[in-house]
Amino acid sequence: MISTDAKFTSPNDIAAFARQLRNKSKAIPKVVRVCIGTGCAAKDSRKLYELFQEAARKSSRDVRVETKNVGCHGFCERGPIVVIDPGEIFYQQVEEPDVAEIFRETILGGRILERLLFEDPLTGKKATKAAEIPFYNVQKRVVLSANGLIDPTQITDYLAAGGYSALAKVISSMSPEQVIEQVEESHLRGRGGGGFPTGRKWRSCREASGNGKYIICNGDEGDPGAFMDRSIMEGNPHSVIEGMIIGAYAVGAEQGYIYVRNEYPLAVRHLTGAIAQTRKRGLLGKNILGSNFSFDIRINRGGGAFVCGESSALIASLEGKPGEPRAKYVHMVESGLHGKPTVLNNVETWTNVPKIINNGGKWFADIGTEKSKGTKVFSLVGKVVNTGLVEVPMGISLRRIVEEIGGGVKDDKKFKAVQTGGPSGGCIPAEHLDARVDFDELTKLGSMMGSGGMIVMDEDTCMVQVARYFTEFLQKESCGKCTPCREGLAQMLHILTRITKGEGQADDLDKLKALAELLEGTALCALGKTAANPILSTIRYFQAEYEAHIQQRRCPAKECKGLFRYKIDEEACKACGICLKNCPVDAIVGEKKVPHKIIQEKCTLCGTCWDKCPFSAVLKV
Amino acid sequence: MPTVTIDGIKVEVEKNATILEAAQKAGVWIPTLCYHEAVSRSGACRLCMVELEGGDQKQLVTSCNYPVRHDLVVSTTSEQAVKARCGVMELLLARAPESEELKELAERMGVLQTSFPTVTESQRNCILCGLCIRVCEEVIGQSAIGFAGRGVDKAVAGPFRQPAEDCIGCGACAAICPVGTIRIRLHEEEQEIEISPFKSRNKLIVCEECGAMIISAQVSEQALRKIESIFAEFPHRLRLCPQCRKKQTAKKLEESKVFHKKVTVS
Repeated sequence: MISTDAKFTSPNDIAAFARQLRNKSKAIPKVVRVCIGTGCAAKDSRKLYELFQEAARKSSRDVRVETKNVGCHGFCERGPIVVIDPGEIFYQQVEEPDVAEIFRETILGGRILERLLFEDPLTGKKATKAAEIPFYNVQKRVVLSANGLIDPTQITDYLAAGGYSALAKVISSMSPEQVIEQVEESHLRGRGGGGFPTGRKWRSCREASGNGKYIICNGDEGDPGAFMDRSIMEGNPHSVIEGMIIGAYAVGAEQGYIYVRNEYPLAVRHLTGAIAQTRKRGLLGKNILGSNFSFDIRINRGGGAFVCGESSALIASLEGKPGEPRAKYVHMVESGLHGKPTVLNNVETWTNVPKIINNGGKWFADIGTEKSKGTKVFSLVGKVVNTGLVEVPMGISLRRIVEEIGGGVKDDKKFKAVQTGGPSGGCIPAEHLDARVDFDELTKLGSMMGSGGMIVMDEDTCMVQVARYFTEFLQKESCGKCTPCREGLAQMLHILTRITKGEGQADDLDKLKALAELLEGTALCALGKTAANPILSTIRYFQAEYEAHIQQRRCPAKECKGLFRYKIDEEACKACGICLKNCPVDAIVGEKKVPHKIIQEKCTLCGTCWDKCPFSAVLKV
Repeated sequence: MPTVTIDGIKVEVEKNATILEAAQKAGVWIPTLCYHEAVSRSGACRLCMVELEGGDQKQLVTSCNYPVRHDLVVSTTSEQAVKARCGVMELLLARAPESEELKELAERMGVLQTSFPTVTESQRNCILCGLCIRVCEEVIGQSAIGFAGRGVDKAVAGPFRQPAEDCIGCGACAAICPVGTIRIRLHEEEQEIEISPFKSRNKLIVCEECGAMIISAQVSEQALRKIESIFAEFPHRLRLCPQCRKKQTAKKLEESKVFHKKVTVS
């Protein structure tokens, strides 16, 4: 028997303690799991958790109910999510008034509340368990497997679910060389965007001369709309830490850093708590699990600059310098943090490591395509029915992600493009929707894997505006160190802005292409080199749309103000007078029972009539 | 020692020397702006791009900080390299349209004009090469100025964009600025030196004999701290302008009659 807060002194303690925990948890068969991930927390799921806790406290003593706050379940569109055991009953869109009923009916009474179950919009079938929902059953959840299951603030939850067993295996029976061999065999590639083979990185660092090597976890997720790493750090912080400890053992590092952005307060809190727990348990610090291996981790909070997600800028920031990239002619594995050999991997990469160790490199390599192995987490957002966090095997088609997991485009609109790879990624159009999720395939299409952002766009999206939006983001986030990125992006934004205003010039596309080529060839860091991707990929697939803007002063998607007109459909107009009353410039005329009209000369194109019309009689033409 | 073949010329350089150093040895000119031998390399301006011809993949690299670790074949005249350098120069010309120094360098590169409009207003004419910041930190040891902000709005400034308190008025930044944007202004009335555009001011030492302005008082103090002199009059001599110093020395020499022949000082 190992006491509940004892320090582990041997690798064998881990398995013994996990067994003990599992036996104990059998005694409390009723568990309520409330998601406190980003999406659900925004809908006040913390309050639900408190209410469940209170209800559990008040219930009679013979019924023991455990309430857990857990990390992101992924199905953010339908949050807040509450899962009840036994039965893995999956309740969605739970609100405060539902708590008492759930407690009484489902937890105490064992009856299912139909109205809180997910209903398939196509078949009308209700799903009791997550696995019955199309959103989940197409996914393959490896990295996220414990998310939504364990309480991220309790190391015991992670241990009971098999956590730190990979570390125990490494320390008890594997040499650093064998660890690297397994990672190499898995063909794991960096999940932060670069896609560099992790095993090769580790080997180079192990072989690099010099002591005082470092391990860094890049948790500076800065892509707009992306929350993959955030959800892992918030929902399963120990999996990141375990991966890092194994990495440190493999390369021979004694100090590690987690660089996490300060805008992720919950991630910072959960990681800080997790590190304190691992230290107490003897999983971090001197002589880990009674071995000769010592390693510790510190957290560094980033200030939120996008560029600090770039490895050399991140290291500069860690060193207390301005977060600016440097030339990487000498690699990080030779000279990284403080000039020492350094392995820097992304959160998701680290989380994959314990899985690879436990299941073997071959198991991992069996998932995916020839050159992209394992799974990838995406944050699926935009004009899609089911937004959320999804994990899919490499090689799955974009179509399956958008249509099956995502449930297709919202409001029966037509699909136009999917943007992958974060702000320096590209837009993939409908004709390439059958492309597979694969590092090289996405690059070939002019986009990239990136860290896992996936934004779905419908027919109402103007692709020039999309390019402008991302270019503006990148221009604002450019550190300004190198000339092409600093000046080039400003010039490109200038050109794009004038195109969207209908002031485009005949040679603007050539100018954009030339600047894009210059950026790709001369920018200092990868962010600058890829910064032209949004422009290049939209020109590649939607050149006609650019030309309509430039030559005909027309926005085909009717998004660019001034490049389309508003018109009232006489047949649809019920002459209710709402548009007339709301028009701020009195540009609408009409009387009762007479269809209204817009006086084009007076119209300022503000769009109020379009917003207000209850009959959709105002058209964009 | 690795051999660098640069535009067909073979030179041997020390391991970890840069391509730029190899080019200098070979007598091949590569334009630079953010490079200066007195300070560390930055690779920020991207003007010194050359093409590396290794194996099947050609690669553009900055010559000022690319370390030569093995034999390399480099082209400064390949289409890609020339296009890259000229493209960067055009962007710089749009940023610093008034700099004569930049125009001169552009002309030497064959770039006669820029096709880009001037889109930035902040700190016009500063190309943000960072030489001033590096010389202030690495050579002078003051770190009075640094970068503020980011992107096109980035600027070289004192802390909080206020006049830098740590500036000693040495003028090294003005001397190293490759585009002539940093200038020294003398305020005769206040007997002060100002480093423009940082607005930092320092009192000047005035020659005890003739009243001419000599040097910033802080620079003199720092210099004295670094020097050990057995010459008792040294601190006093520092408070004279070069002209008066010569005169006084000559006078002393004459009085001490070291020389038999009369020395005349013009």
